[in-house]
Amino acid sequence: MFRTFFRFMKLMGDRLPIYLGAILLSIIGDTSRRIANSYLIKNIVTAAQSGSIDMLPWLLFGNITAFVLGLLLWRFGIMRYNIEGRIGAGKVEKLVFSKAMRLPMSYYEKNHSSDFMSKLIFDTQRASDIYTSRFRRLFSAVLSTGIYLVPMIYFSWELTLCLIAVSLLSFLVNSLFIKPMKTAGRRLSDKNKCMLEKLTSILSGIELIKIFPIGFQLSEEYEAANQEYCSIQKKTNHLSAGLECLNCMFDLIGTLAFLGLGIWFVSLKRVSLGELTALYTLYGTFRNVFSEIGQYLPQMVNCVANVEKIFEFLDMEEEPKQWEYQTEEGIEKDSKKVEKDVVLSVRNISFGYQKEKRILEDFSMEIKRGSFTAIVGESGCGKSTLAKLLLGFYPLEKGTIIIEGKEYADLTLEEIRKLISYVPQEPYLYEATIGENISYGRYCAEQEEIIAAAKAAHAHEFIKKLPDGYDTMLGERGNTLSGGERQRIAIARAIIRNSPIILLDEATSALDNESELLVQEAMKQLKDGRTVLLIAHRPSSIAAADRVVRVGDNCNSDAGIIR
Amino acid sequence: MVKAALRNGYLLLFFIIFSFVLNEAVIIGNDFLAEAADTMLSGQQVPFSDFLMPLFWLTLIGTAAAYLKSISGRHYSAVVQKEVRTSLEEQLLKLPFSYFDEKGTGNIMNRLISDIEEMGRFFSEILPELLVNLVIVLTVTVYLIQMDVRLIMILFISYPIMLVAADRLSKKLAELAKKRRIHMDERTEKAYDAIQGIAVSRSYNLYSLHKQKIDTIIDKMVEQTCESTKISSLGWVLKNILTTIPVIGCYLFALYEIRQNRITVGEMLAFTVLLSRILYPIGDIVFCINDIREAGVSLKRIQEIYHQQKERTDGIFYQNLENSETVPAIQWQDITFCYPGSQENLVLNQLSFSVKTGEQIAFVGGSGEGKSTIFKLLCGFYEKNQGEYNLFGHAIEDWNLKAVRKCFSEVSQNVFLFPGTIRQNVACGKEHATEEEIITACKNANIHDFIIQLPKGYDTLVGERGVLLSGGQRQRISIARAFLKDAPILLFDEPTASVDIEAEQKIQDAIEKIAIGKTVITIAHRLSTIKNAHKIYVISKGKIAEIGNHQELLEKQGIYAEMYAKG
Repeated sequence: MFRTFFRFMKLMGDRLPIYLGAILLSIIGDTSRRIANSYLIKNIVTAAQSGSIDMLPWLLFGNITAFVLGLLLWRFGIMRYNIEGRIGAGKVEKLVFSKAMRLPMSYYEKNHSSDFMSKLIFDTQRASDIYTSRFRRLFSAVLSTGIYLVPMIYFSWELTLCLIAVSLLSFLVNSLFIKPMKTAGRRLSDKNKCMLEKLTSILSGIELIKIFPIGFQLSEEYEAANQEYCSIQKKTNHLSAGLECLNCMFDLIGTLAFLGLGIWFVSLKRVSLGELTALYTLYGTFRNVFSEIGQYLPQMVNCVANVEKIFEFLDMEEEPKQWEYQTEEGIEKDSKKVEKDVVLSVRNISFGYQKEKRILEDFSMEIKRGSFTAIVGESGCGKSTLAKLLLGFYPLEKGTIIIEGKEYADLTLEEIRKLISYVPQEPYLYEATIGENISYGRYCAEQEEIIAAAKAAHAHEFIKKLPDGYDTMLGERGNTLSGGERQRIAIARAIIRNSPIILLDEATSALDNESELLVQEAMKQLKDGRTVLLIAHRPSSIAAADRVVRVGDNCNSDAGIIR
Repeated sequence: MVKAALRNGYLLLFFIIFSFVLNEAVIIGNDFLAEAADTMLSGQQVPFSDFLMPLFWLTLIGTAAAYLKSISGRHYSAVVQKEVRTSLEEQLLKLPFSYFDEKGTGNIMNRLISDIEEMGRFFSEILPELLVNLVIVLTVTVYLIQMDVRLIMILFISYPIMLVAADRLSKKLAELAKKRRIHMDERTEKAYDAIQGIAVSRSYNLYSLHKQKIDTIIDKMVEQTCESTKISSLGWVLKNILTTIPVIGCYLFALYEIRQNRITVGEMLAFTVLLSRILYPIGDIVFCINDIREAGVSLKRIQEIYHQQKERTDGIFYQNLENSETVPAIQWQDITFCYPGSQENLVLNQLSFSVKTGEQIAFVGGSGEGKSTIFKLLCGFYEKNQGEYNLFGHAIEDWNLKAVRKCFSEVSQNVFLFPGTIRQNVACGKEHATEEEIITACKNANIHDFIIQLPKGYDTLVGERGVLLSGGQRQRISIARAFLKDAPILLFDEPTASVDIEAEQKIQDAIEKIAIGKTVITIAHRLSTIKNAHKIYVISKGKIAEIGNHQELLEKQGIYAEMYAKG
């Protein structure tokens, strides 16, 4: 727990001292402001009692100056602290988001992106709450409790002891409530989640609700969850109202007992009336601060639990720069040589997502430069897996791949990927303009290059017809392109990249006939000087290939090549 | 929403009354002590026994009032929130489809969820706090007036300045908060975007590009927080100075009064204690403008939903439709339609067609030619601009929309499954469906065998938390749903578009079974799926370009023949 916490604080790096300094400054400012205020009252009351006001202006001037200085110091500290805290939170966010983009591919395939992202964002927010509020609150509550005690004891140690006793008692009672409150809180948030889920269903399934008689059922479920939420809330209300009323009782008893006792002390001449009033003013603050410790400690503990989750995430293994392979001994370097016109040579590779179940077994193929190869096979036979292996998404279990005369084991993943342009089955387009999406193929591409690529991909015509042309925003808000159009943009993105090999996973879903034709035209354009690997589903595109490689059970090397 | 707030107003009234009682207890207690102090200062003995009983009672009453105040306030917030949530959900179900279509469901959802949360905060925190502070300030003020009117004037002298300052600052802060929210959404969107497209991001080495984009947004957020921190700090300093100065003024004034022998030291003591109680509430009342303003944005947006035009609920529930063989099931005459907001863009232009009961027809045409719009009009999601639409011989205007939708089952390329079990997802095709009916429907949809081999069978959860079903499996579940509904007219919107060839066969088989004896309308890209349709309409630019069956259209050598040749 503490380790996690310290590690989290260390993430702030160089700015940690400034951050801590700012908090300290704010505490000093705040406490001195309040102490100055209490002295001011003491001075006035003393003057009222004794009737002498000769020194009063000077004393008041001193008090007010101290008050204003304290106020400014306090606020300045808080401001600096807020800024530093926010910078720290930003740092954590950056760490988390960039980590989220660097995980091994298997993670994204196993976890639904919106699932882990929403959890992640929630945890990050809760964790950065430590920087921006939780830590300071707890720390300043603890520290200022100590600071306030000094003048209070100075005013009257006997009364102060009584006050501490009352405060401790209320602290104990408060801590009794922590557990039931927490349970209730969890139940509430569960119900709330349930309700939101129903609401989400209603909204995203609105078309079905209108056609099928589901609306009634869903709204019944929603209403039940709502009702339950409300009744749990009502039960919890009794708990929190009880706590509030106990606190109020302690407040009243404390105040009345204190004043009663205080007046008695004054009559005994143990304290002056001025000191008593000052003590009372300070006591109010002291009590608040003291009860805050009990309130903020559990919150802090909860947040640290979120931090733990964040660290778990941050400590996860990333995709390495390069997969590490054990060097296979006994194989001559010579055997790894390839003929000059072979751009890609896959040799006896084996792979499976699970150890026992291999998807590819001893698979080999050679691809000649400038050829158009269709890769075919039953669904689930490992066509897409082969593509993933070529892209280095997963390490090879056995065998090797040689690209442009270099072995995968000697290349970084970035280098491998520079050589292959990938057009996935469902062409993903980013939430950016069409032009930007194409330019992702080669960053800083000129407008002319983008247009040339789009023309080659047979995308230019339809892009031109859009009202905003190449500046049309894509993504959720602008999801107006058909499957074929999206695919052609993805092909343009691959074309502009100008890598020697293009790897295309043909869409299984139907494009309308016209787009299909255009996509096929675009694919033909790709051939121009490049090597094309097509994971094919359609007889027509298979027919267009120079060569067909079949992936499937027990197929090895040349046996798989049909043509 | 206002109604719910008012209907439960009695709870709020209790809340106010009890906070008043609590406050009075404190004030009266103070009075006692002031008296005690004066007695003591005048040299007399303080008879403690005289004070003990009243103080005991005061504490008791105060504690009870505190409990009742807290519980009535909290109950108020819980009940109002619940009622608003209920009515909001009811309202949403009553809104026309076009509302969701226009605004985008994701958009509505995000806003609604955060708005509901904000509304909750308003009723549970902001409103009670404001009221408590008002009660405290008012009761103390009344007490102070009894003491001396001039005190009040001193106390509130800086109020106008504070109001103006708070108003200005809160406006700026709200603006910054809004900007920050936008950036926060943008950051999340960008991150989602990068991760959803991870295969592309990876293979194109886009990591640093995405990272840079996200980092820039985060930096902007930090910058904005810095700015708003500076402004709010200014607000705090102002608030503190403006509340403290009058209080010091009051002290000095009281001191002056003592010297004039108009008030006693004890009274001053009580006065000091009371002042310290209202010191913070006074400032808070003014500065909660900011909170109210923020909540106001959300409350207004919720109100907006209430003020939306509801879908019409009038019309007749026509029945016994299957027997009406003399009239066509659907007849369209010169239907013209454009989406609201884009008047110049006619999606359907004088479109006419009719379908006899039991007939199977198909619409083909390129994307964006208005095929899906035909379905939306058929189901009454949108109303036509011109022309006549008769459903089973009755004009659509006379129909009740619910009854219209009872006539249709839709199987579309985008299958939506509710989070829940497979059984629930199938059962929603028909109210009170029996287990047997559900299983029969699933058998007919060729999905039963698959379901029973799942570990939990029909109780398997689908959706986010459940198993991941393939596109074909989801599609067959939706067909089972349509089986169960048993509507006279079936709408197929490219049902095999997003599945592979193997799955397509199973779906096609299920579709053929469900279509027996029904009126079927299909939208298709892939012409192979509609060869058997009795009549095919080729749609081009919102008009019917060609009509005929597959063979006739091929002989025509028109658009259809060309499309077929390409495929």
